[in-house]
Amino acid sequence: MRSHEPYRARQAPLAPLLAKELAEIVCGRALWTMLLLVCPLIGYSFVQAVSLYGEASASAQQSPVLAASLSPLDGILVPTFGSFYVAVTLLFPFVAIRVLGQEKESGALSLLVQLPYRSSTLILAKLTAVLAAWTLVSIPALSALAIWAMIGGHLAASETVNLLFGHLLYGLLVGAIALFAATIADSSATAAIIALAVTIGSWVLDFTLAGHSGVAAFVAQLSLTQVLRPFEQGLFSAGLVLGGTGAIAGLSALASVWLLPGVATQTKCIRSVPCVLATLLTLGLSTQIRQTIDVTEDRRNSFPAADQRLLATLRLPLIIKVYLAPEDPRYGDLQRNVLAKLDRAMPNVLIVLAGSRRDAASRPANDTYGEIEYSYGTRSDVSRSTSPREVLPLLYALAGVQPPAAAPGDAYPGYPLVATADATLFWFIGGLPLLIAGAWWWSRRPPVISLFTCKGAQP
Amino acid sequence: MIFADDAARNSSRELLRVENLAKRYDGETAIARVSFSIAAGEILGIVGPNGAGKTTLLEVLAGLLPAEQGVAFWCGEELPQQRRKEALFYLPDGIRPYQDRFAIDVMTFFARVYKRTEAQVAATIASVGLTPVLGKRVHALSKGFSRRLLLGLGLLTPHDVLVMDEPFDGFDIRQTRAIIDVIRQEAARGRTFILAIHQLADAERACDRFLLLAGGKVRGIGTLGELRAKTALAGGSLEEIFLALT
Repeated sequence: MRSHEPYRARQAPLAPLLAKELAEIVCGRALWTMLLLVCPLIGYSFVQAVSLYGEASASAQQSPVLAASLSPLDGILVPTFGSFYVAVTLLFPFVAIRVLGQEKESGALSLLVQLPYRSSTLILAKLTAVLAAWTLVSIPALSALAIWAMIGGHLAASETVNLLFGHLLYGLLVGAIALFAATIADSSATAAIIALAVTIGSWVLDFTLAGHSGVAAFVAQLSLTQVLRPFEQGLFSAGLVLGGTGAIAGLSALASVWLLPGVATQTKCIRSVPCVLATLLTLGLSTQIRQTIDVTEDRRNSFPAADQRLLATLRLPLIIKVYLAPEDPRYGDLQRNVLAKLDRAMPNVLIVLAGSRRDAASRPANDTYGEIEYSYGTRSDVSRSTSPREVLPLLYALAGVQPPAAAPGDAYPGYPLVATADATLFWFIGGLPLLIAGAWWWSRRPPVISLFTCKGAQP
Repeated sequence: MIFADDAARNSSRELLRVENLAKRYDGETAIARVSFSIAAGEILGIVGPNGAGKTTLLEVLAGLLPAEQGVAFWCGEELPQQRRKEALFYLPDGIRPYQDRFAIDVMTFFARVYKRTEAQVAATIASVGLTPVLGKRVHALSKGFSRRLLLGLGLLTPHDVLVMDEPFDGFDIRQTRAIIDVIRQEAARGRTFILAIHQLADAERACDRFLLLAGGKVRGIGTLGELRAKTALAGGSLEEIFLALT
């Protein structure tokens, strides 16, 4: 006789749920189609990147200065993974939506939510499936890295891992957006429209508002593309990682709130408020965290080590007033060569952008345009240079410290490689797609059914 | 209409009791103040024409739809909506879960979630007659086998109460009888069933008691004998009783 004790949810094992989610995503056509589309896309980008890098390397063979500017991060990794970024932005939402959309459309969701799992567990299992899907679709890009290493190319471990981590964070963010879209939408088609509106919308935002100042610059900062920028520059930003992780967690929490079908919309809205507030708080907190690590081999985001150490000891506030319009190319140089590095090296830096588009237009009438005013403690000085060679001595003079002696032997040698990867195109348009098609066929093979199950047994 | 004496009669072995369940869609009443109780091992048929509110009642009962009003009690204790899935398992009508997966994979998934042994899975598969299609994908199953798969999934759950929407839809008369036998055997082991059925003849064959629903309201509840007595239709079929009460 049955005991009539309610079945307790906490006893359910996670393994079958995870196995089901992974099998579901592998069963779908979206994943395999994306993999097949990504192969030629990444292959072409990689071959082009190697070709251009090889040409530049040929010119650099006689010039050590030119060779020092050749970094595989800029020349190979970023262009190759750039096409992967495009694929993830445009195609990955379709893969991620499937982890929930299919169940919603077939009615399986009504069974799934009755299983002894919390909705947060269900969403986490689905996010794990999204992570597995991202890992699979990154295979062509990873194979490009392997080929680069095989033809003699240099890969700096820290740069490579950092870039991969950035793409993983971006992929999971796109996946979480798609998952949340699938949760609130009635159909996969609607979910795809919502997810693509966010991903492509933020992409367009990034393009159209690039180089603007004020509110436009702030809005452009909200673009998803901004997640990847520091990683492509070889920076590991703690704030960005916290913000990205917070956004993924927030979207997942919202998805678990909106997943349950038996809850009134008003209640779901009320339950969403803490999730939204916690996410906004995390995002706000992440903007305040300025810790970054320069993982590049050429230390492009940092001053020489001796300068870094000395600048770190300058504790007073450094106020930099820049009389340049944001769209002025000199501002870009200054930002890249001086401001960003100072911001990372010194504990207390305030940058004030005093120039505007109008100032740039009326430049002849405005003598201060182009000036950069540095104030440290009670002393200040003005310069028009965008080079650290001139700015750093100026700062040391303001602080009353002796410039450090240049340390010999830490110059970046550069990694020129005269090579062509044209032949590897056959791998990306032939070998790898064939392997993927084979794996797809293998994944669809009928299961082995035991004789015991077929005959039936008495309980 | 609620028969208080009926509830009192079963109160000693009452497993689930529902009081005043109500649900509205855009201001229109789907179900209005529905109350009933069910004892362990009983098969209750919720009977009514299309649009009577059967599916809404089941979904509200299972906690898959928010109710405007109403309470459920499990062995005398209140069973809140978020804990319904611990006591009831609902098998909806017209779904084909995990269409791209093989039937055996879906059965195995449920078996692993509820830690069923291979022998239990094999017995369930045999009892619902799923063996010939285990190697087929769910989307390739006929309507009847799709129903059998759902029933099989339900039988793999450990829940005391199975709630099924149109469990005989898609079966011919022989298959319906076979499935009724499976349900009766499970009920004999103590499992309780709430079945929403629009075919009155099937309901009459399968169920111990009936809840007659029309326009979202309970028109009668009881065994066939009790309903016959209430309508003064001695020897009347469920169809005749239903017509008399609605």
